[in-house]
Amino acid sequence: MAFLEIDQVSFTYPKHDKPVLTEIDLQFDRAGITAVVGPNGCGKTTLTKLMIGVLQATEGEIRLTGRPIADFSLAEIGRRVGYVFQNPDLQLFCGTVAEEVGFGPANLGYEPAAVAERVGFYLDYFELTAYRNTFPMHLSHGEKQRLAIAAVLANEPDFLILDEPTTGLDAYRKRLLEDYLKKIARSGRGMILVSHDTAFVDRVAERVIVLENGRVIEDSRRKGKAADEA
Amino acid sequence: MKLDPRAKMVMALCLSGLALVYNSPLHLLLLLAVTVALLLSFRFELSAIGSYLKPFLSLMLFLFLIQCLFSPSGRVLLAVGTLPLVTTGGLLTGAGVVLRIVVVTAAAMLLATFSSRDFILGLVQWKVPYELAFMVFIALRFLPVFRDELVNVVTAVQLRGVDLKKVPWGQKIAMYSRLLFPVIYGAMLKAQRLAVSMESRGFRVYPRRTYLRRLNFRFVDYMVMLVFPVITIMLIVLQVS
Repeated sequence: MAFLEIDQVSFTYPKHDKPVLTEIDLQFDRAGITAVVGPNGCGKTTLTKLMIGVLQATEGEIRLTGRPIADFSLAEIGRRVGYVFQNPDLQLFCGTVAEEVGFGPANLGYEPAAVAERVGFYLDYFELTAYRNTFPMHLSHGEKQRLAIAAVLANEPDFLILDEPTTGLDAYRKRLLEDYLKKIARSGRGMILVSHDTAFVDRVAERVIVLENGRVIEDSRRKGKAADEA
Repeated sequence: MKLDPRAKMVMALCLSGLALVYNSPLHLLLLLAVTVALLLSFRFELSAIGSYLKPFLSLMLFLFLIQCLFSPSGRVLLAVGTLPLVTTGGLLTGAGVVLRIVVVTAAAMLLATFSSRDFILGLVQWKVPYELAFMVFIALRFLPVFRDELVNVVTAVQLRGVDLKKVPWGQKIAMYSRLLFPVIYGAMLKAQRLAVSMESRGFRVYPRRTYLRRLNFRFVDYMVMLVFPVITIMLIVLQVS
């Protein structure tokens, strides 16, 4: 059984006639890095929002660990699937950078010492330690992006969905992110990467799904990538 | 029905004013019926009111319960020992608070039945300085944005694994109040960026503005602007006396 199954899913936004996604059929295991690519407006972000239950499919069904996603609350999905929004402004809501990273672990019931350790690690890895007491909205776009990724990773979910995670990152930080994503993949967790950054996709993705006009036009596997690189 | 935007603004003001003055659910229901009838006559899609109110349903329920519990009067319907929990008066007060929110929201929807350009033009023709008119427009324009931000924050919180439905009310209120500050501050930062963007594109570069179009009152507009305030004042006087 696949971790996430998309079964004949179509989606049309309310008050629109044209479907954004049509008869999408995909399965994702809890392993490996899959990239979803395609031109602007082809439905990539909509597809990921359906996968995390923020949007509901007009037709078809999405299943998480075999159960319809509609049976899960957003919080239950969030504990299993970490989601990094395309726009980091939409997911930063705490008063400081450190609180943002610690929010998930603290609310999942970790001891304060364990939360502090995790916060320290992720702030250090994503080079945000200098901003630990800064208001997140005061950060640059690239810094917000790193913070959004760190805050989601701090929850250590089974599966990750990252929507355009490299936007605003410089080459060095992209490399850091790439290393970390490969590390996560090696630890037996799966992820979906929505990206226009073809170089980044080429370096990390084992499977590439191409969307065009709301349909999957290609679903190919590449050998010797990401998790295979030990 | 076609009306001048200024006539609709007067209508919205009168209906909101009455909603604040009335306490009885019956009066407020009547007011809501009038507002809905007006919205329908302007071909407004009523489902929009529901989508505006949806994020605030839990707050409305909370206010309803608070009013039910802490405004006891009339017949006791439910009691714990000698302590009255639910009374007829409490229920009516609670319903009144919820209905007031619905009426004010519905009345505000009257402003959505004409374009933002007409809104500014209407105020400017009433001799309101353009900057002020634009500011009011931006404030109204940002209300849905602000609502969307709140919805986004609630979604983001839940996606980090926090089941808000299962969080006890005390903790929930503390969490919401803690989350409100970044949302408000974020909105202020956006307003600051908007001001820079506007000024960089020449806002207020010339002291005088000219307008291609003018709004003209018709007889029906004058009637609305006369009848609505007169009736409103009469009803307020009747209610207060």
